[in-house]
Amino acid sequence: MRVPISWLREFAALPDDVEEIAERLAMLGFPVAEIERRPAIAGVVTGRIVSLEKHPNADRLQIAHVDVAGGNGLTIATAADNVATGQTIAVATVGAQLPQLRIERRTMRGVVSEGMLISADELALPPEWFEDGIMQLDAGVPLGADAVELFGLRTDVLDVEITGNRPDSMSITGLARELAASYGLPLRLPSFDNPGTPTEPPGETPHVALESPDCYRFVAQRFDGVRVGTAPAWMRIRLALAGQRPINNFVDVSNYVMLETGQPLHFYDASAIGGGTLVVRSARDGETIVTLDGVTRKLCAQALVIADEKRPLCLAGLMGAAAGEVNAQTRAIVLEAANFNGARVRRMAKALTLRTEASARHEKSLAPVLTDIGAARAAQLLCNFGATAYRPHAFGADVAPAQPIALPVRDVERLLGSAIPADRIEHHLTALGCTVAPAARDALSVTPPLWRRDLTIPADLVEEVARIEGYDRIEAIVPSVPPHEISGAAFDLERRIAHGLAALGYHEVITYSLHGAGRFERFARAGLTPHQAPIEVRNPLSEEQRFLRDSLLPGLLEYFAANEPLRVFEIGDIFHTEQDRIVEQTAIAFGFTAEGGAEPEWRDTSFLRLKGDCEALLRDITGRESDSSPGARFGFHPGKTGRVSVDGREVGTIGGVDPRLSKAFGLERNAYVGILDVAALPAYETPRYRLPSKFPSTYRDVALVVDLGVGAREIERAVAGALGAFCTGVRVFDEYRGPQIGAGCKSLAVRITMARFDTTITDEEADAAVAAVADALRRQFGATIRA
Amino acid sequence: MAQLTEQLAELQRRFASDADAADGPQALERVRVAYLGRSGEVTKIRRTIGTLAADERPGAGKAINAAVEAMEARWLAARAALESRGFEAELAASIDVTFPAIPATLGSIHPVRRIIEQSCDYFMRHGFAVVVGPEAEPDYYNFDALNIPSDHPARESFDSFWLTDTLLLRPHTSPVQIRTMQRHRPPVAIVAPGKCYRRDATDARHLFQFHQVEGLLVAENIHFGHLKGMLTGLCRELFGAHQRVRFRPSYFPFTEPSAEVDTTCPKCKSQSLSPRCSMCGGSGWIELGGAGMVHPNVLREVGYDPDVYSGWAFGAGVERLGLARYDVDDIRRFVNSDPDFLAQLS
Repeated sequence: MRVPISWLREFAALPDDVEEIAERLAMLGFPVAEIERRPAIAGVVTGRIVSLEKHPNADRLQIAHVDVAGGNGLTIATAADNVATGQTIAVATVGAQLPQLRIERRTMRGVVSEGMLISADELALPPEWFEDGIMQLDAGVPLGADAVELFGLRTDVLDVEITGNRPDSMSITGLARELAASYGLPLRLPSFDNPGTPTEPPGETPHVALESPDCYRFVAQRFDGVRVGTAPAWMRIRLALAGQRPINNFVDVSNYVMLETGQPLHFYDASAIGGGTLVVRSARDGETIVTLDGVTRKLCAQALVIADEKRPLCLAGLMGAAAGEVNAQTRAIVLEAANFNGARVRRMAKALTLRTEASARHEKSLAPVLTDIGAARAAQLLCNFGATAYRPHAFGADVAPAQPIALPVRDVERLLGSAIPADRIEHHLTALGCTVAPAARDALSVTPPLWRRDLTIPADLVEEVARIEGYDRIEAIVPSVPPHEISGAAFDLERRIAHGLAALGYHEVITYSLHGAGRFERFARAGLTPHQAPIEVRNPLSEEQRFLRDSLLPGLLEYFAANEPLRVFEIGDIFHTEQDRIVEQTAIAFGFTAEGGAEPEWRDTSFLRLKGDCEALLRDITGRESDSSPGARFGFHPGKTGRVSVDGREVGTIGGVDPRLSKAFGLERNAYVGILDVAALPAYETPRYRLPSKFPSTYRDVALVVDLGVGAREIERAVAGALGAFCTGVRVFDEYRGPQIGAGCKSLAVRITMARFDTTITDEEADAAVAAVADALRRQFGATIRA
Repeated sequence: MAQLTEQLAELQRRFASDADAADGPQALERVRVAYLGRSGEVTKIRRTIGTLAADERPGAGKAINAAVEAMEARWLAARAALESRGFEAELAASIDVTFPAIPATLGSIHPVRRIIEQSCDYFMRHGFAVVVGPEAEPDYYNFDALNIPSDHPARESFDSFWLTDTLLLRPHTSPVQIRTMQRHRPPVAIVAPGKCYRRDATDARHLFQFHQVEGLLVAENIHFGHLKGMLTGLCRELFGAHQRVRFRPSYFPFTEPSAEVDTTCPKCKSQSLSPRCSMCGGSGWIELGGAGMVHPNVLREVGYDPDVYSGWAFGAGVERLGLARYDVDDIRRFVNSDPDFLAQLS
C-alpha cells in the first residue's frame, strides 16, 4: 500500500525522519518495501488569473496577470491553452525550485515573465492523471498560499506491506493508529458521526434485499445536490500521491474513503436502480456484466452481485458495472458500504481473475463496523462538496459488540519471557484502541476495538503488548532443553550415506522431483515402456512440472548429459502408486559415466568399480557384507545388472544403464548407476573382532574350467565350504574365455589362502586341502582343474 | 708358498678394483659371489692347498683366511661407499614444490546439505533431535492441524502442487511438527529439515522446489526469549560470531505472537547502505525466516494443554541462506548443481 507521509501526519504528529518512521513501521509488523523520495518543490503559491491577453509578439503565448494576494500581482507568459480569466491555479514564483528547473525572471519576446503557471508534471505528479495544461484548483482555495504545504506535496511515500490478518491497517487511519500508539502520540481522526440526518423524499428511501448470506451488513445512503464533476485539487493530489488515479468526484470520494478508512465503497445512480431495491444475490449461471473497466464478464453462481430487479449493477466487493454508473445525468446517488464474506470475495476474484483494491481488502474479512465509519466519512466529504446527505440505512446484522478477553497478566511473561507490569500492558492495549478493565485477580479484561477482528485470545493480546513494547526489548535466552526420547535415526542414516558416498569420490547433486513428458518420450525412443502410469500433479505451473518422479535414474542421466563427467549421487524421495495409494520412498542413486574400454564382452571393469563402491558403502552403513546376484531392473542393461542384497534381503540394484536409454538421454558414454532403497537397509551391526592366526598362512592358486552359467561367487562359496577351518580367504581373481577353453566354458583363477590357528600349516596339509577342494568343485560344478 | 702369496695379493687387488667399479648393489653382489662365493675365485685357490707340501698347508690356510677377511672388509667398505654415493645423488635432487598438485578425488556433499547439517548440529548440541517426514502430505498436516482451515486466506500464500483432492506436496516442513507432537508427549525438541514445494515461478530468487529447516520446542515455561536465544545462536553458527539478529512482528496462522527473523547482511555487513548491496537491497538485513510461539489451537489439535505447555517454532529457507552464505547470485544454481558450482562450494 502506498502511504504518503503527509496523509499520516494529518492524524498524528510523527517525527520528521522518514527512515525512522519506516523502521518503526517494520518493527510494528508493517515492513516498508520502499521509500519513494519525492523531489523538493518550493516557491509555488496559489493564485487567480485576473486578466489574460495575447502576447504582442508571439502567437502561441498569452500573458496572464495573476493575483497572489499581496503586491501588484504577477505577469506571466504561458503557452498553455486551458487558461481563462478567473481560474484558480498554482504559480511557481521567481526563485521557485521545481523538480527539473529553477524559475527565474526572464523576458519572453519582449515581455517580462515573473514565474510560471503550474501543471501536474511540475509537481511531480503523473500528468496523464490530470487535466492537460495548467492544473485547475478550486475557487475556495486561499490565494498566495504555499501550494506545497496546502496540498501535502512535501512528502515521501512509503510502500507498506500489510499482513493478511490486518485489513484494518490497509488504511491510512490504521497505520496512523499504530504509529501513534508506538510513539505515544495522540491520534486525531475524523469524526465517526454520519452527518446525514434528514429522511428522504417519499419513495426515495434506499432499500436493500440481502438474498445471499455472504453479505453480512450493507449500509445504504442517499445523496443529492451534487453533480458529477472533478474532485477538489487537494483530493486529487492526495489520491495521486497514494497511487490512485483521480476519475471524478464520486469515484474519488469512494477511493479516498477506502484508502483512509479501509472500507471500500460504491456509488449507484439512484435512477438506474430498476425497481428501487438493491438485491445482493448469487449471480445466475450465464449472467453477464460489463464492469467499469469495459470488460464483459460471464458469471457463474459463485459470483456475488448487487443487482436491481433486472441486472447486476456491481460485482460484490470487486468492481461496479457500467450499468448504474454515476454519469452526467445523475441527480441522486445511493452509497453502498457493505461487508461481505471474505472467502466468497476471494473465490470470486480468483475465478474472474480480477483483483482490485476493494477485493484485496474484502477478501481479508473486514470488520462490519467499518461500513458505518466508511459511510460517515463519505457523507462528510460529500457534504463538503455541497451534497445533501440523507439518513444512512443499515441492512443485515447489527455490529456485534466485541467480546472481552480475559488476559492473565502472567501469560505475558509466560509467553514472552520478560515481565511487563500490568499498567504498562494496559497502556499499550489502550493505545491500540482496546478497553482495559481489571478482572479477576492478576487478570485484565480486554475488549478489543470493533475494527480488530484478529484479536480473540490472550495470545493475540500478548503479541499486541510485545509489538508496542518492541520485540527488540525481549531478552534473548538460550533455553536448557529438557530430556526427551525422540529419535533422530532417519536423518542420521541419510547423513552417513551422504558422507560415505562423498568419501568414495561421489559429488552430491539435487535434481527436480517434478518433470515433464519429455522423459517418457526418451524412454519410448529407447524402446522402453514404464509399467506404471505416472503420478500427475493436478495444477502444474508449467508442463515441465507435470509428473512426480518415480525414480532417481532419469535425473542422474539428465545430469550426466548436461555436465562434464563426474561421479555423482542424489538422495531423494521417489513416488509410485500401490492400489490407488501414493507411496513415497527415500532412494539413493549414485553413478558415473565411462568410456567403453577395449574389453571382451564378458568383462566390464566399470561395473566392477561400481560394485566395489556399493560394497564399501554398504559395509560402512550396515556393518555387513553385501552380495550381488544376476538381476533385472527397468532402464538397466539386461546382462549387466546386479541385485544387491545384505543378509539375504534385497536393498537395491547396481548395473550398467541400458545403452539405448543412455543414447535417448543424449549420453556419449556408458552410464553405471547404483540404486538403493533407504528403508530396506538393515540397521548397522556392530562387528566383532576375530583374532587372526599367529601362524603364517600359505596360499595356492587354482585354475579351473566351468560352465559359463556358474558365477564366481558360487565358486568362492563352494571353496570356502570345502576348506572348512583352514580357510582364511578365497578370491576369484581372473576370468578367461576363449578358444583354448572351449565354447560354453570359462576359466577362473582362484587364490585360496589357508592357515592353522594352532600351528604352522604344512605344504602337505595345504596341498591335501586344495585337492579336496578340487574334488568338491568337480562334483558340484563339473569343473576341470587346470595345471 | 710364495706363489700362493703372490696369487692372493693379485686376487685382492683385482677384487678391490672390481668392487670399486660396481655401480649398484646388484653389481657389487655379483663381485662378492665371483670372488667369495661357493664356487668363486677364493674357493678355486683353496682347492690348490692339496698340491702343497704338508708343512706348508697350515700357513697357506691362514694366508687364505686372512685374505678372505681382508676382502670381506674391503667389500663392506665398498658397499658403504656405494650407499653413500647413492644418497648423495638422491639428496642432490630438487623439485618445484609450487608445481600444481595431482588433484585428489574426494567427493562432496551438496551445499544445501552442508547448511542443513550445520544448522542441525547446532540444535543437536542443545538437545534437539533431527526428524524427517514425507514430502507428499495430506492437507490435514499441511493446513488444518496448523490452524489454517479450508477457507483461510493464508492457504493462498502456500500455493501448492496438489496430487489428489487431499494430498499435496508439502509447501513447508511444518507437517513434521504435527506428526511428531501427535506421537510424543512434551517435552518436544526437534529440528526438521526437508524438501518443500510451492507453485512459484522460478527466477533468480525463487525455486518451486527448495529446502527448509524447521525447529520446534514445546515444554513447560518455554517462551519467546528462548526463540530469540536459539535463532541468534543459529545465525552466528552459520554466518559468524558478530552476527546480529532482528525480530519483527508478523503473521502466521500457526503462531501467536509471530515474527519475521532477519540477520545482518553477511555480504555488506550492514555497512554499505549505499550503493545498494546486491544481497540485501541496501536494507542491511536479510530474511532468515518466520517464527513465533505455537498457536494454542495447534497445541490443542495435538492434545497438548496450552495453559500448561508453551513452545515456539521457526522455519527457514535453506537455499535462501545459501545465497547469503556463499554469496551466490542466482538461487537456481543450487538445483543445477553444475560441477564448477559444487567444486567451488565443497
